[in-house]
Amino acid sequence: MRFTLRWEARTGLLFVLPCLLLFLAFRFGPSIAGVLLGFFEFGIGDSPAFTGLDNFRRMAGDPVFWDSLQVTLIYTVLYVPVSMAASVGMALLVRRSFRGARFFRSVFFLPVVTSLVLAGTVFTWLFSSEGPITKLTGLSWLASPTLVLPALVIVSVWSRFGYGMLIVLARLQDLPRELEEAALSDGASTWQRFRHIVLPQLRPALFFVAVIETTTSFQVFDLVYVMTGGGPAHGSFTLVMALYEQGFKNFEFGYASAIGVALFVMTLVVALIQRLIIGRSK
Amino acid sequence: MLATRPPAVRSKHPSYKALEPSRGGKIARIVLLAIATPVTLFPFYAMVVLSLKPGAAVTFPQSMLPWPVDFSAYGEVLGGRDLLKWTFNTLVYSVVSVVAVLLLASLAGYAFAKKRFPGREPMFWSFLAMVMVPYHVTLIPTFVLIAQLGGVDTYWGLILPTLANAQAVFLMRQFIMGLPDELFEAARLDGASEWRIFTRIVLPLCKPILATLGVFVFLWHWNDLLWPLIVGGSADMRTLTVGIASLHQENVPLSVVLAGATVAFVPIFAAYLVGQRYFTEGVTMSGIKG
Repeated sequence: MRFTLRWEARTGLLFVLPCLLLFLAFRFGPSIAGVLLGFFEFGIGDSPAFTGLDNFRRMAGDPVFWDSLQVTLIYTVLYVPVSMAASVGMALLVRRSFRGARFFRSVFFLPVVTSLVLAGTVFTWLFSSEGPITKLTGLSWLASPTLVLPALVIVSVWSRFGYGMLIVLARLQDLPRELEEAALSDGASTWQRFRHIVLPQLRPALFFVAVIETTTSFQVFDLVYVMTGGGPAHGSFTLVMALYEQGFKNFEFGYASAIGVALFVMTLVVALIQRLIIGRSK
Repeated sequence: MLATRPPAVRSKHPSYKALEPSRGGKIARIVLLAIATPVTLFPFYAMVVLSLKPGAAVTFPQSMLPWPVDFSAYGEVLGGRDLLKWTFNTLVYSVVSVVAVLLLASLAGYAFAKKRFPGREPMFWSFLAMVMVPYHVTLIPTFVLIAQLGGVDTYWGLILPTLANAQAVFLMRQFIMGLPDELFEAARLDGASEWRIFTRIVLPLCKPILATLGVFVFLWHWNDLLWPLIVGGSADMRTLTVGIASLHQENVPLSVVLAGATVAFVPIFAAYLVGQRYFTEGVTMSGIKG
């Protein structure tokens, strides 16, 4: 018995070892180093010098950082409700089995598998002065510091609503029919059935999608990089854009890491709120 | 009100027609689908059509007609630009990563699911906790580490850090935990080595999850921008996403950018047509945490 256990432990450890080494080098190590580097001044070619809270003090006094935080939060506040409404609406639309339901589900999921770089190149034209959106609305979205975020939100919603749709759809298909049928026979309208029977049962799925979409919004980068580069006038300069520029344009690794810490804290706050709400509902 | 309803409506054999939308509801559904489908597909249509319109300024709506067709942008992007090189780099990045992630994650998942060893639980949960740390927090230290090891502008520098995939390990462990122990015990009594049990019993049984996970990892790598942008800076190491983003920023004619985008999209689209189930399962599963 003792022999088999030792043998088992050895093979177990051996099988985990490659993953463990990769995790130590590229996840655990960098996670700790990413936070610690926030307390150092470190550029390309120099060795890190401990500077205490200097990076964070600099961040607190840096208008570009505050702008990027504001841009990220506005983007999130616009994006999350719109994308969730789109996901739920589309899920309800293709919920029942009807002729072509599978086809429509695949169509609506197609943007999810498409890279944001492709989406960005096409949508730049769609929003350009030659493109349909400007022609139809008469507004040049990407040139306006106030409309640039709504434009990016539209592209993100287009590219991601299918993801939430599938999660909501999976939940909808698990719902027992009896409740809805009972409500129907009691004369409840479509809206009443949705509001009082379907929606409460969807709550966990919606909550899950909301958390995922919020953390994804905090990290928005690809579309901004391709479509606007953060402009005009820093109107779409998000936190990860700030991190990218400080880290890989200015090579201020310490300061960029401090921005990363801010992002980490924001993600943790969302996780904490998630825990609290789940804890309360149990 | 409730009591006046005849109980027969709530019979034990619910009519499956009962919840079908009314005539009006069906018409509303058709109308909404007739709006949503073209809106969803229009960007793809525009991508392909505009890639066939080199030269002249492309203005909506005149340029939206599929003809005249001119493939010269494809000639330029495939010949004059490095599109083939980028496609090759993307394939290396995606395919090598998929194979390595699947192998490493199933090895670790098998050990976490079926082997007792000291520190197993804390190790597993600390792997999983890494899902919480945003990728961007680790970006700078990972880059510094790869740079010091001389991995900038190399395939291994591009691939290696992406192999520590916590979600993949988690999903493999969950799947393998559901496999009956007797299968492995029987093989062990027959004198099969651990490696043989892994390759001949565990891996074949994991085919469904490996396919789903593989598609997800492939898609993630194929579409990834930030890491290849940082670590593969030179022209020779660009992936499709980095290359097309660079064309887009370099004042290259729109038709050429979109021809490149179309070429990058075709493999994913073809794979999606064939194995759509794996795409939807993979992407929805990826979001499911413990």
